[in-house]
Amino acid sequence: MTAWWYWPLFMFIFTLLIGIISPVSGVGGGVLYVPLATVLTPFSVDFIRGAGLVMAVTSALSSVPYLLRKGLANIRLFAVIAPIMVITSVVGGIVGLWVSNALPNGKYYVKLLLGIIILLVFFIMITSKRVEFPEVRDEDVDAWSRKLGIVGEWYEPSLERIVQYKIKNLPVGMAMFGVIGFVAGMFGLGAGWANVPLLNLVMGAPIKVATATSMLIITANAPAIGIYLAKGAVLPVVVVPSILGITIGARIGAKIAEVIKPAFVRWLVIGILFLAGVLNIIKGLQGLGVIPHII
Amino acid sequence: MEEKREIHVDPMALAFAKIMTIFTIIGIILMVVPAVFYFMGQNQYIPLHVAAKYWHEPAVDFWKDAMHETVHGYDWIFQNLQYTDCQSMIGVLLLMITPLLSMFAAIPKAPQKVYKILLLVAAIEFIISMVVKGIF
Repeated sequence: MTAWWYWPLFMFIFTLLIGIISPVSGVGGGVLYVPLATVLTPFSVDFIRGAGLVMAVTSALSSVPYLLRKGLANIRLFAVIAPIMVITSVVGGIVGLWVSNALPNGKYYVKLLLGIIILLVFFIMITSKRVEFPEVRDEDVDAWSRKLGIVGEWYEPSLERIVQYKIKNLPVGMAMFGVIGFVAGMFGLGAGWANVPLLNLVMGAPIKVATATSMLIITANAPAIGIYLAKGAVLPVVVVPSILGITIGARIGAKIAEVIKPAFVRWLVIGILFLAGVLNIIKGLQGLGVIPHII
Repeated sequence: MEEKREIHVDPMALAFAKIMTIFTIIGIILMVVPAVFYFMGQNQYIPLHVAAKYWHEPAVDFWKDAMHETVHGYDWIFQNLQYTDCQSMIGVLLLMITPLLSMFAAIPKAPQKVYKILLLVAAIEFIISMVVKGIF
C-alpha cells in the first residue's frame, strides 16, 4: 500500500508543473488541474473539484489587486457580471455534487460530462483567435454599456502610450456569463478558458483587459467553495499541496515565459487537454458499462 | 513614464484592491500554517492514514466510512477548531469571503448609484449563497 504522503507530494509536484506551464502557455491552471487530477490520482472527483475551485479563486485573489491598480481589470464590468455569476456558479456546484452523490453511478456521469466539457474547451482554444486591440466604434457600444460608462484605460509599455477602450454587446455577454458560472461551479474548472474569449471576441475588450478582468470575475465564483466545504469536500491533504505547488510554479513559469517560445507549449497543453477529455469520457463510459474496460 | 501617472483608476477599484490584498495574505497564512502542523501529525481530526484509506470515495461516503458521520454545513469546522485540519479550513473560509469584504469596501467609493446597487446585490447574493450552503 502506498504511504499517505505519496499523493500529497504528487499533488505538489503536479501543480508545480501546471503552475510553470500555465503562464508560459496562456492556459489557466484550473482547466488542466481538474481533468488531469481526476485521471492521475486516486482522489474522488468531489475532492478534486473542491481543491480546483479553491485553487482558481486563490490564484485570482493573489493577482487581481495588482491588475486593478494598473487599470487592466475593469471593476465596472465586474459589478455588472458578479450578481449573475455568483448565483449560477452556486447552482452549478449544487448540481455537480448532487449528480455525483445522489444518482447511482453519479460519479461516472460527472466524469463523462467533464470529458465533454473539456473537449468543448479544447475546441474553443483551437478555433478562437485573440484580438490584441479590438476596434469598438462609438456606434458599436450598446445602450447598457454607454449608460453604465463601462470604459477604461491602461498604460501599454509595448506602445509606450495609454490605451483607452470601450465595451459592446453587454446584454449578450451577461447571459453567456450566467452559463459559464454554472459550468465553472459544477466542475470546479475555473472559468478563464471561457471568460477571456467572451470578453475579447464578443464584448470587444483588449486581450490584456479581457485576461485581467477574467481573473477579477473568477473571484465571484468564491461562494461555490462553500458548497464543497459544507459537504466536507475540501481536505487540507489535497488543497494545501495544490495551492503551494501552483503558487510557486506560477512564479517560476512567469520567469520561463520570458525566454521560451510560448506557441509550442500552448499546443502541448492543448494536446494534454484533449487527452484528458478523452480519458475522462472513456472512464465515464467504462463506469456506466457502456464500453468494456480498456484503461 | 510621466504618462503612467495620468491613468485614471476608479477609486472603487482601489478600495476593492486594498482589502483583497490584506485578506488574501491573511487567508493563505491561516490555511497553510495549521496544515503544516497537520502534516506533522499534530491534533488531526481526520488522521492522515484514515483519510488515505477513503479519499477515493465521494465526499458523503468518505465521511461515513472515515469518521462515521454525515457532514452538513460548516459545523464540522467550527465544532472542531482544536484540530489542525479544521483550523486550516478557517483560512479557506476567509479566502472565500475575501471578495465579499472587497465588495463592501468598494461600495462607498462607487461612482454612480447603480454601481452601489449592483455591488450590494452581488454582496447580498454572496451572503445568501453562503448561508444556503450551511443549511443544505
